[in-house]
Amino acid sequence: MTRRSAPWLSYLVVAAGALLTVVPFLDMVMTSFKGPGEAGTLPYRFLPKAFALSNYRAAVHQLNLPVLFRNSVVVTAVVTASVLLTSLLAGYALAKLRFPGRDLVFRLVLSTMMFPPFVFLIPHFLILVHWPLAGGNDLLGRGGAGLTVSIVALAVPFLVNGFGIFLTRQFMLSLPDEVLEAARVDGAGEFTVWWRIVVPQTAPVLVTLGLLTAVDAWNEYIWALLVSTANPDLMTLPVGIQLLRDHVDPARTLPIVMAGLVLSVLPVLVLFLLLQKHYIRGVMLSGLK
Amino acid sequence: MVNVLTPRTPERLPTPGPAPARDGRRRARRRQTAVAYLFLAPALLFFAVFLVLPLGFALLLSVSHWTGFDLGAVEPAGLDNFGALFADGSTFLVPVLTNTLLFALGTVVLAVTGSVLVATCVERLRFQGLWRTLYFLPIVTTVVAVGNVWKYMYEPGGLANGVLNALGIGSVAFLQDPDTALPSVVVVQAWASLGSAILVLTAGLKSIPASYHEAAALDGAGPGTVFRRITLPLLRPSLLFVCVTQFLTGLQSFALITVMTRGGPGDATDVAALEMYRRAFDYGDWGTASAAAFVLFAVVLLVTLAQLWIFRRAGEDA
Repeated sequence: MTRRSAPWLSYLVVAAGALLTVVPFLDMVMTSFKGPGEAGTLPYRFLPKAFALSNYRAAVHQLNLPVLFRNSVVVTAVVTASVLLTSLLAGYALAKLRFPGRDLVFRLVLSTMMFPPFVFLIPHFLILVHWPLAGGNDLLGRGGAGLTVSIVALAVPFLVNGFGIFLTRQFMLSLPDEVLEAARVDGAGEFTVWWRIVVPQTAPVLVTLGLLTAVDAWNEYIWALLVSTANPDLMTLPVGIQLLRDHVDPARTLPIVMAGLVLSVLPVLVLFLLLQKHYIRGVMLSGLK
Repeated sequence: MVNVLTPRTPERLPTPGPAPARDGRRRARRRQTAVAYLFLAPALLFFAVFLVLPLGFALLLSVSHWTGFDLGAVEPAGLDNFGALFADGSTFLVPVLTNTLLFALGTVVLAVTGSVLVATCVERLRFQGLWRTLYFLPIVTTVVAVGNVWKYMYEPGGLANGVLNALGIGSVAFLQDPDTALPSVVVVQAWASLGSAILVLTAGLKSIPASYHEAAALDGAGPGTVFRRITLPLLRPSLLFVCVTQFLTGLQSFALITVMTRGGPGDATDVAALEMYRRAFDYGDWGTASAAAFVLFAVVLLVTLAQLWIFRRAGEDA
């Protein structure tokens, strides 16, 4: 085949591109092992003089890493669980139940995907600040900090995902109705049909959706930054690391920052490498990233 | 953005039956409606509180003066906030909106060129999965990591200048120079989005039958001609998709810029979403911030509608 001609040129292009992709990651890892005064100084050196773990120890202490880690894990877990559950519930109703208003609701779900996240940044924050009877607020939402002082605030805007409902519904449409009918004839209620018959068969799409949601939640930056400006106890990994980068002497802390970044990126990278087929499927389906 | 067209499930027609049975069926149907809305309740409640209410609130803020404390003190302002954005001396149109468009356009050009190059080349290699995984790594990485690593690489003692110096070229103040700051951030955004673009284009390439290429090669066409006359035209839908989605992402992105330059030096890398963020949360100017959000939203919506229109037309052509 002529298409196989000159593969060396293709190799060159692809390898050069891959190098360009991987080198920043390697630079991050290498810098995380560098000693004080070794990073950000001239002349530039790629490799550290000695692979020291001191930056990782420093990151754990200076970054308050256990708290950052806990916040990130809690928010990611809550958001992912909630998105999966609400998508399974709503997706089932839209795919397998007949009721007036179904098309209208489905169209609403589709339209939610049209709105860019930045539109909601201001109103979401203000709504949480003025949430009635929370965080010292009165019934009219005055006087206190509302929900912004609670870890709930980090997760709340992401708890339901229109794309998740859409994806789950599309998948459930393809499940045969006969089995559901048979179960109903045998006296199973809708909740039993949903939980015992439909949910188990939806597993493949749940892995995809769960992974996509978890990665996004783990990496979320702007909203987490906004919420934790009011309450530093709510900082997540990205926010906490960025804070160290911004406010402490950069020349000295750069390797510590890089160590923190390696630790924050590692869980997602491992998860991605294990389940990349599902993640890539999700990106293809959502067409968003 | 929705890209998958959905088949509508046919509504079952009511079948005539004896009166008592019909009565029972009606009761069953009413029950199913109640159950359905029970299943939908969490999602609908969420959309009401965190979608409909915020949209209304944002719209109200964009036509109001408000200090941000007492909800009773929201004063009507008509279109003042929008007027202020476009008044003489305002930086919103130039350079902020122009920066936004340049940023989006720049990432599209870079990402599309790069992904076409890589996607067509990967096709001929072994270990395609491995290569694609490598290109995909930036996508799963937090923007804080991507931004900081590149920011460090751009510094005088960083990798980029290290390479330049090794080649005998003087250092470049990538992010500190107003002339190079925006292109430098564009490179990072394009770098980060290359993987998904390659993914879409690979799918497009795989749908082109190999026989087309073989036939052309038999007719004596060189690889360049085959690419230009066969691959590129048949790849058009995927290319269009990549262009539009990357453009939309580019219009909206500001986390990367927040991390790398915070809009600086001066306002060389200030973009609309960042401007909105700062007006609201740094200056408490909720009115013009909300107005800015809606202006950017209008631009995004316009591009989205154009996309839908183009794809519908392209669909009719095919």
